[in-house]
Amino acid sequence: MSKKISRRDFLKLAGAGAAATAVLTGCGPASRYVNREPYTKMPEYTYNGKSTYYATTCRECAAGCGLVVRTMQGRAIKVEGNKLNPVNLGKTCARGQAALQGLYNPDRVQGPLKQPGRGSRDFTEMDWDAAVGVVAGAFKSYQPDEIAFLVGMAPDHLFDLVSDMAKAISGLAPVRYGALGMFEARATLMQAAEAVFGRRDLLHFDLAGAEVTFSFGANFMETWLSPVANTRGFAKMRQGMAGRRGYLVQFEPRMSQTAATADEWIPVAPGTEGLVALAIGSLVSEAAEGTVPPAYADVDLAAIAEKSGVPEETMRRLARIFANTSHALAIPGGSPLGQTNGLDAARAILALNVLADNLGQPGGVFINPPTPLGSNAQRPVSMREMSTLVQKMKNGKIKALFVHGVNPLFELPKALGFEAALVNVPLVVSFASFPDETAMQADFIFPDHTGLESWGYQRVLTGADVAVLSGAQPTVAPFYNTRATADVLLAAVRSVGGKLAAALPFEDEVAYLRHKLLDLVKADGGVYSAPEINTFSAQFQQYGGWWQKENSLGTIDSSRVFARSLSVAEPEYSGEGELHLFPFVSPILAESGANKPWLQEIPDPTTTVMWNTWVEMNPRTAEELGITDDDVVRITTPVGVVEAPVYRYPAIRPDTIAIPFGQGHTAYGRYAQGRGVNPIDLLSIMFNEAGDLAFAGMIVKVEKTGKRRELSRMEGRLGVYGLEEH
Amino acid sequence: MTEHQIPEVKADFSPEEVGKWGMVIDQDLCTGCQACVAACAMENNVSFVGEEDAGYGRGMHWVRIERFWEGEYPKISTSFQPVMCQQCGHAPCEPVCPVFATMHSEAEHLNMQVYNRCIGTRYCANNCPYQARTFNWYDYERPDPLNNQLNPEVTVRRRGIMEKCTFCIQRIRRAEDAAAAEGREVMDGEADPACAQACPADAIIFGRLDDPESRVSKQVRSGRGVKLLEELGTLPQVTYLKGGAGYDRNG
Repeated sequence: MSKKISRRDFLKLAGAGAAATAVLTGCGPASRYVNREPYTKMPEYTYNGKSTYYATTCRECAAGCGLVVRTMQGRAIKVEGNKLNPVNLGKTCARGQAALQGLYNPDRVQGPLKQPGRGSRDFTEMDWDAAVGVVAGAFKSYQPDEIAFLVGMAPDHLFDLVSDMAKAISGLAPVRYGALGMFEARATLMQAAEAVFGRRDLLHFDLAGAEVTFSFGANFMETWLSPVANTRGFAKMRQGMAGRRGYLVQFEPRMSQTAATADEWIPVAPGTEGLVALAIGSLVSEAAEGTVPPAYADVDLAAIAEKSGVPEETMRRLARIFANTSHALAIPGGSPLGQTNGLDAARAILALNVLADNLGQPGGVFINPPTPLGSNAQRPVSMREMSTLVQKMKNGKIKALFVHGVNPLFELPKALGFEAALVNVPLVVSFASFPDETAMQADFIFPDHTGLESWGYQRVLTGADVAVLSGAQPTVAPFYNTRATADVLLAAVRSVGGKLAAALPFEDEVAYLRHKLLDLVKADGGVYSAPEINTFSAQFQQYGGWWQKENSLGTIDSSRVFARSLSVAEPEYSGEGELHLFPFVSPILAESGANKPWLQEIPDPTTTVMWNTWVEMNPRTAEELGITDDDVVRITTPVGVVEAPVYRYPAIRPDTIAIPFGQGHTAYGRYAQGRGVNPIDLLSIMFNEAGDLAFAGMIVKVEKTGKRRELSRMEGRLGVYGLEEH
Repeated sequence: MTEHQIPEVKADFSPEEVGKWGMVIDQDLCTGCQACVAACAMENNVSFVGEEDAGYGRGMHWVRIERFWEGEYPKISTSFQPVMCQQCGHAPCEPVCPVFATMHSEAEHLNMQVYNRCIGTRYCANNCPYQARTFNWYDYERPDPLNNQLNPEVTVRRRGIMEKCTFCIQRIRRAEDAAAAEGREVMDGEADPACAQACPADAIIFGRLDDPESRVSKQVRSGRGVKLLEELGTLPQVTYLKGGAGYDRNG
């Protein structure tokens, strides 16, 4: 009795609970189909006491780390790193570990929903055929340039699919956005890389081979670009791969987790990081050549010391450290770039690498390996490009908005007016797996599977020295009546017919993935090779992706940075008040971790606060304002007000306060909703030259409210048996 | 009158004696990223307790990362130190347990907590100088379907039970079983607790202390090794490697 049933039929059965423990094994060419077997012969994943492991890709951020998920009897029980994947080599971060709390989150959207009144949270259930009908209806009734896709930074296969759809009907290119991309100021970094090295690339910084690294606000061990790969690089640097124990200097207004690990933390005023880089560059080149080269002619050390708060002698000392090694590296992070002078700052920081003569050298700067399957404009949009979309929505030019993998109502500054513009969009469809803020303002929620139930792939933009395409496959059968967004779109495409269906003749998501992978079957230099697609995709699933055997980092041989004089304009700040506001991404929660209870209960590395938002304030400043720990303060900018308790943080500039981004949800399930505040609500819309948001350029007013809210902190725990403080 | 035979369940290592399994934590590499904390909680069915209880110090973390401040602004520095049960060879928690729930395993040379013996006196936690033990003050809620994540190899603990790091004994057993099936002893590197497996900086390493050639044994001898509260004579099986030689700050 062996009858082949299609994957879709099977999923229906599984969804109905008839075979809820079954899994798509993905271990061979027949992976899309499941054979019915007599129960005397148990499938491998149902043996008692035996684990089955599936290689897939982490979706908690867009870095593309490989995972191996341990399952037992059809349940995923542990996330482990994929030792083969060149990005993370078997390691994971805290967010990757907690991915299972997304899969098994008690507040998931369990099936397609219709919300007759946006924001009413009064949902009616519908079936998937009707859902496909809604999507197809949009394609039938609206013009191609009236349909917009807003997608997150992961997964890439869905981005490719919607790009292909847009291309087929000459519609709007999908807009890609994620708050992490905003906090990394990716557009600025890439534009600076183009200006300095002639390549629009995120650049590969070879931390492992460096001996001295100057990081300008790059929180690279927390969330920046590829934190697990960066941490590995850092560890190798510390262990002295280049000869002696590496030395890390971090320049930023508050001590981040990365700065806490660094050997030196230089508290620099927000927006002056570029100036400090300029000063150090001037000193380094003076030391090397005896005179100050023309590019640095305008540098006024004393003025920079005054503005940045970094004494001249400290800059001289740091310049000596930087100059006296053969493996020096300078990294531009997000916060110096997220300033009005961000592009200048990025150039000045990258110029240090040219001075260190590390281009294409071990411990230096490289161009990332070519991304597999082409790289069709996959970078997230800058805030200026995003504001174009918002304008279009506001003017009624967008009739249908499809949102996937991003939560714009939480991740975009309120001042951008996305929420108000959304009102003018007649049809809003969210594909969210969780009831997030954007889904609450949508007409329909057509929930996608969570990452661990999904097919897909993710291009690795940076973090590995070989080209990597991380592959995803379901590790468990979908837990609820969710459906892959790609399947919904492809079904809609079929029902629309015409040009669209002709361009995308795919039965389902897996057929589309296989079609995309065809290019790789022919590619040379992979860790495995296969003569045809069936074998190839089986290997793709077993390895958890495809990558090259040999280093394919691009070397940079020249730079144009010194062709003209380097200068960094003074930063312009927005708002009124006495204190700088420094918003930073919570290293533990990042942009989407707040609905996972264990991430909430993991203490912030530097403050040890759990489950809430805090405002970091220097104890001296707090004393002046008459504030102590747990006093709630009101923070006001021209565009917003938030209230949150203070944590007296000994490692922040007295003229700056810092608030983590990650909490402050008004929806998103029981563990996230109504907890903490969202600092992004305080940000004015102010762009830098590359169009990124100058998110670190706010000045705020801080007042004591007289209220108190006790923060739960891990550090108090040491005194649980009597000692209150330690 | 019957003479009661009190079983010998206390560890009694001599100072030179090495245990079987050991851990080395390189504080020069630890970035405080909390991946170990998350990995441990996921592997060992550790409950989360919510904001209020966490604030009272009732968090169930089997491993915590201690953060130390040194100096004052602007010359302030931080260091991170992951602390879990040190699997003492001379454990202060063991002799105080009235019901032998806290005892030493002869086979693994590990400090164990037998959940179904524990009556919740909390003497062991009181006596632990490392604050490594956590107590289930309540039955903590794990709303459906979060319970699907539970690792079937690890007992789910109830209210009134003391718990702590086990060095992921279930993983050690798995490796030992696999080795036994091949008719050999388990080798260094075959078992990794969840924290060491996840650590992105490779700051936590685990292995056989009784094998002088193992990675941990070599690190223990590296000269940077220190034990937490060594002066108490608890003979921990966890060795911390202190920060490496400083770079010349004057360049």
